[in-house]
Amino acid sequence: MIEIKKTYKNYVGGKYVRSESGKTYTKELKNEFYELPLTSKKDIRDAVTSSKDGFKKWSSTTPYLRMQILYRLSEMIEGNKESYVELLMHHGLTKQKANKDIDKSIQNIVWFAGLADKWEQLAGNLNPVSEEYFNISHQNPIGVVFSLSGSNVSLNELLMSILPSLTVGCSVISYSEENSVVALKFAEDINNSDFPSGSLNILSGKFENILNDVSKHVEINLVALHKELDNDGLKSIEENASESVKRVFSQPSIEGLSSILPYLETKTVWHPKGT
Amino acid sequence: MVNWQYSESIESREILDIKSKYTNYIGGKFVEPNSKKYIDTISPSTEEVLSQIAISNQNDVNKAVKAAKSGFEIWSSLAPYERSKYLFKLARLIQERSREFAVLESLDGGKPIKESRDFDIPQVAANFFYFAGWADKIDLSWSTKGLKPHGVVGQIIPWNFPLLMLAWKVAPALATGNTVVLKPAETTSLTALLFAEICDQAGLPNGVVNIITGDGTTGSLIVNHQDINKIAFTGSTQVGKLIQKSLAGREVGLTLELGGKAANIVYEDAAIDQAVEGVVNGIFFNQGHVCCAGSRLLIQESVHDQFISKLEKRMQALRVGNPLDKNTDIGAINSKEQLNKITNLVDEGVADGGNIFQTECELPGNGFWFKPTLFTDVQPSYSIAREEIFGPVLTTLTFRTPDEAVEIANNTEYGLSAGVWTEKGSKILWTADRLEAGVVWANTFNKFDPASPFGGYKESGFGREGGRHGLLSYLKESS
Repeated sequence: MIEIKKTYKNYVGGKYVRSESGKTYTKELKNEFYELPLTSKKDIRDAVTSSKDGFKKWSSTTPYLRMQILYRLSEMIEGNKESYVELLMHHGLTKQKANKDIDKSIQNIVWFAGLADKWEQLAGNLNPVSEEYFNISHQNPIGVVFSLSGSNVSLNELLMSILPSLTVGCSVISYSEENSVVALKFAEDINNSDFPSGSLNILSGKFENILNDVSKHVEINLVALHKELDNDGLKSIEENASESVKRVFSQPSIEGLSSILPYLETKTVWHPKGT
Repeated sequence: MVNWQYSESIESREILDIKSKYTNYIGGKFVEPNSKKYIDTISPSTEEVLSQIAISNQNDVNKAVKAAKSGFEIWSSLAPYERSKYLFKLARLIQERSREFAVLESLDGGKPIKESRDFDIPQVAANFFYFAGWADKIDLSWSTKGLKPHGVVGQIIPWNFPLLMLAWKVAPALATGNTVVLKPAETTSLTALLFAEICDQAGLPNGVVNIITGDGTTGSLIVNHQDINKIAFTGSTQVGKLIQKSLAGREVGLTLELGGKAANIVYEDAAIDQAVEGVVNGIFFNQGHVCCAGSRLLIQESVHDQFISKLEKRMQALRVGNPLDKNTDIGAINSKEQLNKITNLVDEGVADGGNIFQTECELPGNGFWFKPTLFTDVQPSYSIAREEIFGPVLTTLTFRTPDEAVEIANNTEYGLSAGVWTEKGSKILWTADRLEAGVVWANTFNKFDPASPFGGYKESGFGREGGRHGLLSYLKESS
C-alpha cells in the first residue's frame, strides 16, 4: 500500500500557502523527497502585511487570553508528541533525544504562557521623580519581528526563537532553513491554538535569498538572528537596517527575563498630582 | 494704563574665568592636541569669541581611547561602593560650582540664564546623585543574569543641553563601571571642559573620564576606533543612521537618542489656559532646540480658534533677548548654521501655504535670533509638519476624533515624545496607550528627572537614558 506523503507549505495569515514564485527546494527524509517552499521577496512582503494586521490583533489581546492561547499550544503539542518524535527521528535524532526535545518544548511553552501576564510587572515600574508627578514606565511590544531560527533540527530551538517576542505581544515572522520541516509541521499546532491570524507566520527557504528584503523592509521593526551568520551577512543586514534605525539582535539571550527585553519599547508617562 | 518701563537684570560674568584656549582632557591631564588645531568658540548671542577649543585628530582619539582602556582596569576593579562615592563627590562639586556652570552654559550656548540656572545645572547634579546610588546596587537592578560593563564607551553629545547631556551620558556609564571618551559638540564644549576640572578636583582615577573636543570628523574617529566597546550618541536621526551603519558587523554596543517631531494633542475638554501654557513650554523651552519639543500642535477642531487666539496672545508675552538677562524667556539660536536651517524650513512653510504668525519683538543686532513662530492652516504633508525644525517654530494641525488624533500623532517616522491635554482621565490613558512615543506627557510637557527613563520608538533611536531602564544601556550580560 502506498503511503500518503504530506505537502509542506508556508503558513501566512492563518492559511497554508505555496511560495508565489512557485519555487521549492528539496529535502530528503527517510527516502522520501519533500518540496519545501522557497520563500521569495513577494512572500516576505505578504507576510509583513499579514504580520502588521496580526500585531494589531495579538497585541490588543488581553494578557490573560494570550496566556491561555499559549497554554493551548502546549496542549496541542502534548497531543501530537509522537508524531513530532517520529519526525525528529526521520531527521536522524535518537528516540531519546527526540523525546527530550519535545518535553523541553512543552516545558518552555508553559513557562512563557505563565509569563504573558507578568512581564510588565517585572520590566516596568513607578519612577520616584522629585516633583509632584505620577510617573510610570511600562512597555509596549515593538511590533513586527522577523526571527531566523537556528540550524539544528529541533522543535525546542525553534520555539525559543519565537516564544519571547510572541509572549510580549509582538507578531512574528519565523523563518527556517535547515529546521523547516519541523517548523512547517508546527504551524499546524499554531493553527489549532486560537492565535489570531497573522500573529505568527511561518516560512521556509534559503535565508540568503531574502536577506536584503528582510533587512530593508521598513515595516519589520526588529530582526532576531538565532543562527550564526558569517560576518559579511551580518554586516549587510545591519547596514540595511540602519536606513530605518531597525533593531537587529544577533543570537539574543533566550534566558529568563533577558529573553524578552529586546522586544520591548519602554514608554514613560507623566501626569501632575494636585487638587 | 501704566506704561511700565522694562528694566533688565543681567547676571554677572565675573564668576567666570574663561581661558583663552582649552586643550583636551586625557588620562587625568590637560594635554595639547596632537593636531595642533584649534577653532574659535563664540557666544551666539553676541558673536564674541570666548575662547578656542581643540579639533582632535586620529592620534588624539587613539590617546583618549588608550587612556580610557587603562582607566577601565582601575575603575572596574574598584569596589562598587568606592565608585559610588566618587559619583556623589562629583555631584556635590557640581552643586558648589553651579552658578559658574550656569553662566558659562548661557554664554557659550545662548540659552536663557533662568533655564541654565534653574533647570540644566540642577538636573546635572541630580543625575550624578541618582546614579551614584546605583553604582553599588547593580545586582539589584534587574532580575537578569550577571550584568557587566561594556568597557570603553564613546559618547557623542549635542549642543542643545551641553552639560546635561554630558551628565545623562557620563553618570550612568561610570555608575555601571565603564570608562568614557566623551566628545561635546563643537559649538558648546566649554562646560564639558569645566567639568573636566571637576573630575580633577574630585580625584577621579586617571582615564575614567576623557574629554576630547572636535567636530563631526572627530566623532566618526571615535565611532570607528577598534578599541571602543560601546557608542552612545545623542543627535540627529541622519547622523544616528550613519553611526549605526558604521558599526554594522562589529561587536560594539549602541544606543541612539535621535530626533523627534512630537505631537502635542489638545482635546476640546482640556483646561485650555493650562494647555496654552504647556504648549508654549513644549515648543519655546530652550529656543525649541529640544529633540522632544512639542513641535506639532494637534488641536480638536471645536476649540481651534479659541486656542489659537489665546496662544498668540501668550506668545506675544515671551521675552526674546540677552541670555544673561534673568527676565529672558527665549535666548539666542545656537549657531548661524542652525539659524539658516530654521529660516529655510520656515520659508518653505510659507511657500507651501502655511499661515504664519510671529511675535512683535525687537531682536538684538548681533548674534543669531529667531522670533517665536506659529503656523496654522498646515497640511500634514508640509515639510514644517514632518521635519524636525529644532527651533522656536510651532506647527498646527487639527483633528475631529481621538482616533484621528492618534493616527496623525503616529504618522511620522519619529517616536520620541508626545503630549496629551484633557481633563478626562480615561482619555489620557487611552491616548497614552496608543501613542508610539517613549515619553508621554499628560497635562504637562518637557518634564525631566534622572529617575525617569527617556528615549524613543522607531527612528527616534533605541535604548533609554535615566531611571532603572537607563542602566541597561551601559551593561551587557556576561556569557
